[in-house]
Amino acid sequence: MSWIPFKIGQPKKQIVSKTVERDFEREYDKLQKLEDQTKKLHKDMKKSTEADLAMSKAAVKISADLLSNPLCEQDQAFLESMTALDTAMRRMDSFNQEKVNQIQKTVIDPLKKYSGVFPSLNMAVKRREQALQDYKRLQSKVEKYEEKEKTGPVMVKLHQAREELRPVREDFEAKNKQLLDEMPKFYHSRIDYFQPSFEALIRAQPLVAAQLPVAAEKAQRLPLL
Amino acid sequence: MEVPRRPQPSTFTLALPKPASSALSPLGALQKVAMKKPMTEKLQEKDGSTEENQCEEETFSTAEESDVSVFVEAPAETSEPVDSNASAVDSKLSSQDSFSEESSISEERLAQEAEEAKKKSEEEEAAAKERAAQRQLLAIEELVQSERNYLRLLQVSTVTIRSNLQKLQPPLANLDSMFLYIEEVINVSSRLLSLLDQKHVRPGDPLFLETLCDSFLSLSSDIEAAYKEYLANYNHITVVENSYKQKEGLWNEVVRVIKASAPEVNATSLSFFLVMPVQRIARYPLLLQTIQKHTDRAHPAYALLEQTAHTSVALNCRINEYKRFREVADKYKKTETLTIKDKINRFNSHSIAKKTARLSQQIKHETGIAPKLVDEEFDALEGFFYVLEHGILELLENVETYLHHLQGFLACKTEEFDFDMDGEKAPICYKEITTALRQWILPTFEKRMRTLIHKPLCALRDLLVGPRNLIRKRLDKLLDYEVIEAKSNLSYEEQAVANTYRTINTLLLNELPQFNGVALQMIWSMLGTFSCLHKDLASDMEQLFQSFAQQLPHSSLGPGAFWEWADSAVLEGARRLETLCRSVEETLYAPAVQPLSPSSQHRLKQLTDKHGSGKIYQVIGTVVGSRDLDLNLAKGELVALISETDTRGDKRRWLVDAGGRRGYAPSSKLIRYHQPTEYPPPSPHPTLPEGVTGIRRHSYSPESRPVTVRSQPCFQVLAAYDFTARGNHEVSVGAGEPVRVLEPHDKRGNPEWSLVESRRCELLPLTGTSFIF
Repeated sequence: MSWIPFKIGQPKKQIVSKTVERDFEREYDKLQKLEDQTKKLHKDMKKSTEADLAMSKAAVKISADLLSNPLCEQDQAFLESMTALDTAMRRMDSFNQEKVNQIQKTVIDPLKKYSGVFPSLNMAVKRREQALQDYKRLQSKVEKYEEKEKTGPVMVKLHQAREELRPVREDFEAKNKQLLDEMPKFYHSRIDYFQPSFEALIRAQPLVAAQLPVAAEKAQRLPLL
Repeated sequence: MEVPRRPQPSTFTLALPKPASSALSPLGALQKVAMKKPMTEKLQEKDGSTEENQCEEETFSTAEESDVSVFVEAPAETSEPVDSNASAVDSKLSSQDSFSEESSISEERLAQEAEEAKKKSEEEEAAAKERAAQRQLLAIEELVQSERNYLRLLQVSTVTIRSNLQKLQPPLANLDSMFLYIEEVINVSSRLLSLLDQKHVRPGDPLFLETLCDSFLSLSSDIEAAYKEYLANYNHITVVENSYKQKEGLWNEVVRVIKASAPEVNATSLSFFLVMPVQRIARYPLLLQTIQKHTDRAHPAYALLEQTAHTSVALNCRINEYKRFREVADKYKKTETLTIKDKINRFNSHSIAKKTARLSQQIKHETGIAPKLVDEEFDALEGFFYVLEHGILELLENVETYLHHLQGFLACKTEEFDFDMDGEKAPICYKEITTALRQWILPTFEKRMRTLIHKPLCALRDLLVGPRNLIRKRLDKLLDYEVIEAKSNLSYEEQAVANTYRTINTLLLNELPQFNGVALQMIWSMLGTFSCLHKDLASDMEQLFQSFAQQLPHSSLGPGAFWEWADSAVLEGARRLETLCRSVEETLYAPAVQPLSPSSQHRLKQLTDKHGSGKIYQVIGTVVGSRDLDLNLAKGELVALISETDTRGDKRRWLVDAGGRRGYAPSSKLIRYHQPTEYPPPSPHPTLPEGVTGIRRHSYSPESRPVTVRSQPCFQVLAAYDFTARGNHEVSVGAGEPVRVLEPHDKRGNPEWSLVESRRCELLPLTGTSFIF
């Protein structure tokens, strides 16, 4: 705590140095941006997976409706190709569902957890603010007493104030240090944290993509005119 | 036909100046002349007799002949051979009669004359044949030449005039629709001509006729198709042209353009050119029949020619019928959107009568009074049509839903958020992949789906309207028809009604099967396209991922292994996150322990004395009492719990003691107050009994958090006042006496007392002492 320029008896307007404050602000800003992005990504991921699911369900509906239409009863060949298409679409849908489940587990849930950290982080920062305010308040009180002449009651009050100040100052310093330590670490941890998520996202797609040719091949035995 | 009795010579003289063409084929005769002589002689004789008979009949026929009615001539022509054969005997008999009558006069003279006449007839025959051959040639040439001319003019109109008209400003409306079917007509016509030219036969060649007939017959179905459409559309052309004529300035421009484009033809309107196909198709029978008339029956191509002529006539009939069908269909095909006012205006006695009649007929059907005219074939077609319609509408709906979701998917731009992880491989790969997907793979897929599936489906759906209306109209007309069906003598209107019904019925029976079949094929192929699109999409995506797969760190893992790794990594990450969180919280959530104000300390002591330290609670928020016996409490006040429920058993209202006042307070606003305990300060005095280490808890935080332990410095104090020990554990101090504070509170944690060391270890009241270093 040597970086806190605080000496008893010396009136100091500056409680916390500007550099420290700036560092803190910078780190906090980065984290706030990260929070925003996490939230938006979480929302978008959810929407995109929902749309994905809806798309494959719509494809299944196309084939299912046609299959249930009496048109199929008229023509045997038509019925066969409709059945093939239906099977293909259903297969694609099930793989898609699986893919979405995987993404849910490896991407969306982690995203949610990650964004769950931020409220407590914000709370911590707020408390640091509070502590800073208390600190400033008591500090000014101490200085006020120090400036007065040193009479008995004043001394008593001064001591009292100093006693009050001490825990508060320590508390603030602890908080500040902690935050200053933890924030960059937290920011840095996102890389490792999200690495598996991104990889999972990339590898999930080919799962379905690999199935599509097989499925579509079956359906392609439809006579093309 | 009555053959007048005429002496033979006069018939010959009569035959000479006649300009009418004979139906003999001199070509054929000449050919046969080239062959065996006795045969030809016999033929000649026969020809001569037939010729003479036909000449006789010719007089009548030519006399009766009118320019327009070829049809009259045609039956006359076709019946002529029959008649002539029939009357050949007659005339022979008659001539023979004349012979026998005059035989007595001078047989020798007659014989002489007969010989002369014979020679003359032969010469005449030859000449006539020559003429006939020439006429036939002329007719053939006329056909060919007129065809060429016609084609040329059509091409002029399509290419030159059309392009010039298109340059007009302001642009003419519906210009293209006037030239809609003319291309096919030109195409067919040029094919006909090219077929003729291919054979490299000259019109004089007898083979030419055969070629002509063959090519016409082979193209007849195409000709029918091309002209059918054109003629059916012709009404529209006239309507459009009339609309142009409405605006005089515009019309003058048009005429000027036409005259400039085709100066050799004195045309004054666009329909001069556009009416040509209409005229042409009706002219084919005329031309062909003219050729047939001048062709010798013995000509090898005669049968073919006859067939061609027949075909051309049949063509015209069919085209006319088609046109009629189309007119009826167009009349009823459109769905009219009428406002209620229009509908009311349409009511008149006639329409009401019509509709009531139909309704009554329908009721009769339902109740079984009148038998229904059931056409099973039609019902089957109708059923299929409705099923098809339903299928198409459903498919369209589903495809639209699919496209909607695809758009939703495309709207989420997840590649934009990268958390500034630009240095990392995986996020970069992900970003690029997603960008590629969103920028071109999926948009291409969407576009293809729209053009190849959605648009055709929409067009198909729009096409359904026409048949649907026609089917409905047919039912109406059927009801009308049934009413009058039984009648034997139909009035003119009733005949019209019956005809309308029959027309619609026939039209639908002809065309619905085609429509149903084609629509089904369309749907089928669209679904094939659908799966094909998916296949392409899959291969695109596969390619994309393959290109990035190598760069990923865990690409070597198989799919199962990869997912296991991914799951475990995620769990690991979650765990780490949790520990991080907890450590942060532990250190951060230690709020400063605020020393209590003296009054609070006093209260604390009071309550602790009375109730014990385990029952001390602190108020979290301001409590405003609303009911009887409720207390008003300020934030931070210390109270002691007396009872955890009220008299009625409500566990949320607690009975508390607030230092004298007693009353109820809501339990949610009370939190356990733990008196802070601290580490023993490092002090030279080893006799510190109460070194209580432990978790400090502060009443302000709802959760317990571990807190940094602080050391309490040791003070040297001056006692401010006198204090007399009242008991064993208290120490007496005098004012100003220095004592060392070992602990600022007593063993119970009561800050009003502190453990000081003076001469003895004792408690001293905290109040009233001041601190100095």
